Amino acid sequence: MKSLTMWARLKSPWVLHFNSGACNGCDIEVVALLTPRYDVERFGIKLEPSPRHADVLLTTGVVTRQCAERLKRIYDQMPEPKFVVAIGACACSGGVFKGNYTVLGGVDKVVPVNAYIPGCPPKPEAIIDGVVKLLSSLESSKPEAKTSASA
Amino acid sequence: MPVPDQDSLVSVLQHKIGTVGNILPGQLGKATIQIESALNRKVIQILLENDDGACIIALTGLDLGEKIGLMYHIRTKGLVVTVKTEVSKEDPKIATITDIIPGANFHEREAADLLGVVFEGHPNLSRLVLPEDWPKDLYPLRKDAKLEGVSSKLADSQCNTQPEVKMQQSQTDSRLVNIIVGPQHPALLEPEKFSLKVDGETVMDVEPRIGYVHRGVEKAAEQRTYLQDVYLIERICGICNSCHALTFVGAVEKILKTEVPDRARYIRTIILELNRLHSHLLVLGHAGLEIGYETLFQYMWRDREPIMDLTELLTGNRVISSSMTIGGVRRDLKEEDVPKIKTQLAILRKKMDFYQNLYRNERSLKMRTQNVGILSKDDAIKLCVVGPVARASGVLTDVRKDEPYAAYGEIPFKIITRTEGDTFARLIVRLDEIDESINIIEYTLDNMPSGPYRVRVPRIVVAGEAVNRVEAPRGELFHYVKSNGTAYPERVKVRTPTFANIPAFLKTAIGGSIADVPANFVSLDPCFSCTDR
Repeated sequence: MKSLTMWARLKSPWVLHFNSGACNGCDIEVVALLTPRYDVERFGIKLEPSPRHADVLLTTGVVTRQCAERLKRIYDQMPEPKFVVAIGACACSGGVFKGNYTVLGGVDKVVPVNAYIPGCPPKPEAIIDGVVKLLSSLESSKPEAKTSASA
Repeated sequence: MPVPDQDSLVSVLQHKIGTVGNILPGQLGKATIQIESALNRKVIQILLENDDGACIIALTGLDLGEKIGLMYHIRTKGLVVTVKTEVSKEDPKIATITDIIPGANFHEREAADLLGVVFEGHPNLSRLVLPEDWPKDLYPLRKDAKLEGVSSKLADSQCNTQPEVKMQQSQTDSRLVNIIVGPQHPALLEPEKFSLKVDGETVMDVEPRIGYVHRGVEKAAEQRTYLQDVYLIERICGICNSCHALTFVGAVEKILKTEVPDRARYIRTIILELNRLHSHLLVLGHAGLEIGYETLFQYMWRDREPIMDLTELLTGNRVISSSMTIGGVRRDLKEEDVPKIKTQLAILRKKMDFYQNLYRNERSLKMRTQNVGILSKDDAIKLCVVGPVARASGVLTDVRKDEPYAAYGEIPFKIITRTEGDTFARLIVRLDEIDESINIIEYTLDNMPSGPYRVRVPRIVVAGEAVNRVEAPRGELFHYVKSNGTAYPERVKVRTPTFANIPAFLKTAIGGSIADVPANFVSLDPCFSCTDR
C-alpha cells in the first residue's frame, strides 16, 4: 500500500500555489506552466486549489507579515507527507525586498522548505526542473522519509 | 484630446483661485498651488469644477521634519495640478475631501495608515495596507519611525494565534450571509481578502482588505541609491515592470533635466508596448478562465509566449526586463532582431482576427460579460478610475496622448473607447488595444532613429521634485520623486492604476449576482502587488 501511494505521489503530484507577497512575476510563470508551451500536466502535475488535497506547496513571494500566518495555516492544513518549494529570489531569501519593514524575507522563516528555485523570476523550465529534482530525490529515498533536497 | 497649453490653464486657475493660494506654474505637473491646510476643500472644489473630467490622481504625504506635507495631485484637462499644503506633526489633522470626490477615499486611508494623518470627516479611516496588529503609533513613512525588528517580533506572535476569520452572521439582518474570499482562494492569484455580504444570490456589500502584498517599497526606496531603486521599483509588479521602471526613471530625468537620446525613447516605446501586449493577453485569457472558458485561457496564454520571447530577445529576460535606466535603456536594439520581431507581430495580428471574432460573437462569452458590472461615465469620473476601465465607460483618458512620453508624441495611434461600461466593454477595449500596440511597435521599428541609446548621468541627483505619469497596461501610473541633493531619494510615492480602480469594483459588484463577481473583478485586471507595494 505504501509503495502504491508513493508511486501515485511521484507520478502525479498535486501542487498548490500560494503567493505570499510576490510581485506576480513568479506567479505568472507558475501559471504559465499549465499552458500549452510548458504543459506540466503531461508529467501528471496538477494545480490543486485546496491545501487539503495538495502534496507540494509552491510558494512565491517575500512572505509579508500579513501573509505569514496564512502560509503557516495552509502548510498545517496539508496532509503528510508534504513538500514545500520556494520559487524565486524573494521566496528563497527576500530578494530585493529583504530588510523592509513588513517583510520576513524567505519562506523558510515560516515553514520548512524542501527545494529552492532561485531567479527573478525563474524561467518556467527552471521551475519544472526544480519540481522534478524534488520528486527524483523522493524516489531515491525510502518512502515516507522526509528529504531536504536542494534543487 | 487637444492638450491645452500651460499658460491658459494657469491663467484660468489664477483667475479662479485668486489670492487664496500661491500658484507656481510648471512645478509638479503643470502648476503647483500652495495653500493653507484649512483651505484644501475649497481649492480642490474649484479645481474639480474647472473640468468635467477632473479627478484626483494621488495624495502624497511626506515627512518634512516639523511638519507633514500633503500633496493632492489633481488631473484636470488631462494635466496634473498639485495642491500643496502642510499640517503639524503633533496634531496632523486636515478635513477630508472624500465627500467632494469619492475617489479620494483610499488615498486618504493610505496616508492615515503610513503617515498618521487624520482626515476629519472621513467615513472609515481603518487600516488599509498595514497589518491589523501593527503598533498603533508607528507610521512607517515618517523619518523618525523605528522599524527595526518590528516585523519579526509581530510575526512570531501571529503564527501562534488562532485564525481571526469566522463566518459572521450580520447582526442587523439575519438573511445576509458573509462570504469571505481569500487570502488564499482558487479564483485569486494574489493574496487578498474580500468579504461579500450576500442576500441569496445578490451581493449587498463588499469590504476589501488589501495589504497582503505590502512590502514597504516606498520606504525601501529611500534607503537605496537611485540606480538601485530602478531595480527595486520595477519589482513592484512583475507584469507592468517596465512601466514602473520608466515612470521612476522619467521622474528622476525630469529632476536632472536629462535629455534622453531619440533612439532610447523609441526602444523604450517598444518595450512598453510589449509589456502592454503580454499584460492584455494575460488578462483576456484569465477572463476566459474566470467565466469557465478554459480553452480560451489556454489559447491566449499560448499566444502570449511569443511576446515573452520577444521581451527576452530585446532585454535578456522574459518577465522582469530591467531594461530602463536613468538616461536611456541598457541594451541597444540589434538590427538582426528587427525582422524576428516583425514576424512574430504579424503572426499575432493574424491570430487576433480569430480572437476578435470569438470575443465579439461567442454567445456564452457575451452572456457572461454583457450588462455585467456596468460602470457609468459619471461614476467612472467620480471614482477616479483610470485606463481601460475608464475608457470602457466612455472617459477619454490616456496619458500617451494627454502628456506624451517616450516616443508617443511622434507615433500615430488611436485611443480605444466604448460607451457601455460593462465587463464586455472592458475586455473589448483591451482586445482593440492589442491591435493598436502592434501598430505602434511596427511604426517604431520602421522609424527607429540612429544614435546613442543612453547618456551618462550623475549618481548624485540635484535637489528637486518631480511627478511623472505613464500609461501602464492597467491605466495611468503615477510616481512622485523628491530629491534632497544626495545619492538617495528623499521620498518616492507610487500610485498604481489598480489602486485607483478598486473603488470601481466595489461600486459595480454591489447589486449584482455573486456568480458575476469573478468576471467583473477580472475585467478590471486587478494587480495587488502594484496596489499594496
